[in-house]
Amino acid sequence: MNGRAATVAGYLAGFALLFALWHLAATLLVRSALFPPPLPVLERAAALIADGILQEQVGASLRRILQGFLIGSAAGIPIGLAIGSFRPVRALLEPWTEFFRFIPAVAMITVAVIWFGIGEESKVFLIAYTTVFVVVIATAAGVGAVGRDKIRAAQCLGATRLQVFRLVALPATVPYILTGMRLAMANSFVTIVAAELVASNDGLGKMLWDARLFMQIEDIFVALVALGLLGFATDRLFRLAIRAFAGRFNPTM
Amino acid sequence: MALVSLDGVGKTYRGRGGAWEAVRDFTLDLAEGEFFCLLGTSGCGKTTVLNMVAGFEPPTAGRILLDGREVKGPGADRGVVFQGHDSLYDWLSALDNVAFGPRLRGMGRRARRAHAQRFLELVGLAGQGGKHPAELSGGMKQRIQIARALANDPRILLMDEPFGALDALTRATLQGELSRIWAGTGKTVLFITHDIEEACALATRIGVMTRGPGGTLKAVLPVDLPFPRERTSDAFMDVFRRVHALIHEEIVRA
Ligand SMILES: Nc1ncnc2c1ncn2[C@@H]1O[C@H](COP(=O)(O)OP(=O)(O)O)[C@@H](O)[C@H]1O
Ligand SMILES: [Mg+2]
Repeated sequence: MNGRAATVAGYLAGFALLFALWHLAATLLVRSALFPPPLPVLERAAALIADGILQEQVGASLRRILQGFLIGSAAGIPIGLAIGSFRPVRALLEPWTEFFRFIPAVAMITVAVIWFGIGEESKVFLIAYTTVFVVVIATAAGVGAVGRDKIRAAQCLGATRLQVFRLVALPATVPYILTGMRLAMANSFVTIVAAELVASNDGLGKMLWDARLFMQIEDIFVALVALGLLGFATDRLFRLAIRAFAGRFNPTM
Repeated sequence: MALVSLDGVGKTYRGRGGAWEAVRDFTLDLAEGEFFCLLGTSGCGKTTVLNMVAGFEPPTAGRILLDGREVKGPGADRGVVFQGHDSLYDWLSALDNVAFGPRLRGMGRRARRAHAQRFLELVGLAGQGGKHPAELSGGMKQRIQIARALANDPRILLMDEPFGALDALTRATLQGELSRIWAGTGKTVLFITHDIEEACALATRIGVMTRGPGGTLKAVLPVDLPFPRERTSDAFMDVFRRVHALIHEEIVRA
């Protein structure tokens, strides 16, 4: 046993406690129509699911996150590897990463909408943007952190430069890459909501915005809970993936 | 002809803090098949000498020859066992760590694993090949390092205080096994230590270094005792005392 069963039981208990506290706070402490207790929210969620609306909004947001995240990672990993491996590349590109990472994706929303309109492209662009710099920085840091003795050991076993990169630097960097991607995924959730709040026809952010306009307070909470659960689930999946790929050789994660 | 010869080798590190002469005028010939222990106080330049022989760092004076050719960088003819064990590849099993050298040379998966298995057996880890470094004790990791270096069949084995971080019992066990492996394979070994007893137990010759800066070879003593060494014998004690006297001069020399 079952460490895993214990963890799942713990998670369930944790969520139950959260919902219980929410219930108590809403029914005893606040007692306002503006702060509904969990039950009506769940009912509303069930209705939205029955109508297929919730799935649609969640699907729209998730699809954008996934696309942008994959594009951003696919670009970020090789750039990070190059920055970490070659001094001139680092000198050339470090100003870029150091410059852009202080311009948050949220600040780029207006530009994105002007460039790409309010369709999919602007959202995917923003997610890719928020992903790429985090992944670049994590990957480059990983390459820099490869132990000197690991490289030397390969050299005195006869490794060429390419072999050192492919068989030592790259696998040693995988945990850093995955950690960077996990961080980027969390950022993606922030970014997508902001982007959809400002300019979108669907998605969870849009759902939040509409619910506010029409004062559908339960809908707001449905969207919030959906975001929390979605983020939680993706992050767990990521941790499982990191464990599977890298956990064996990096017990700190 | 000597297998390895160091000819007036010196190393001066230059950094922000100025220049630091770590090793000065170090001359030594290593013969094929010998077990040479380089002994000295901490900071006298032992690792620096080994790193230069390994080709990790170039000498700033003199030259190092292997088989008569000048050492220009690291190569598969010199296997290194590092002091710490972060040279092992955490993402590979013990077996695949040992098979790493043959893999670099393009040996097929099955062949190199069978090859590595023999060396795991040699270091007494026959059943542990599936474990990853994180699942092995410090002593086992050093065995893996030794197996990895030997599986690549180097001309000489360079070992930098490989047992320094182990507890006394494990250290004694590994010393015994290394001695047995050396006798069995006939490999040339350059072994660095600051432990007099370790040097006396393993070496066919002991080189004592002066303390730094500018550490150099102070004396070389042949150790003509049979293996396995009887650490409580009078002959062993006698060698120990002679080496100890040489080292002690360096410790008290302010
Ligand atoms: N990369 C380096 N830069 C500057 N000084 C160094 C460097 N490596 C070692 N030294 C210095 O050279 C001397 C010898 O170091 P080392 O060879 O590691 O000694 P030992 O292995 O005998 O303990 C020490 O004084 C150490 O501080
Ligand atoms: Mg040292």
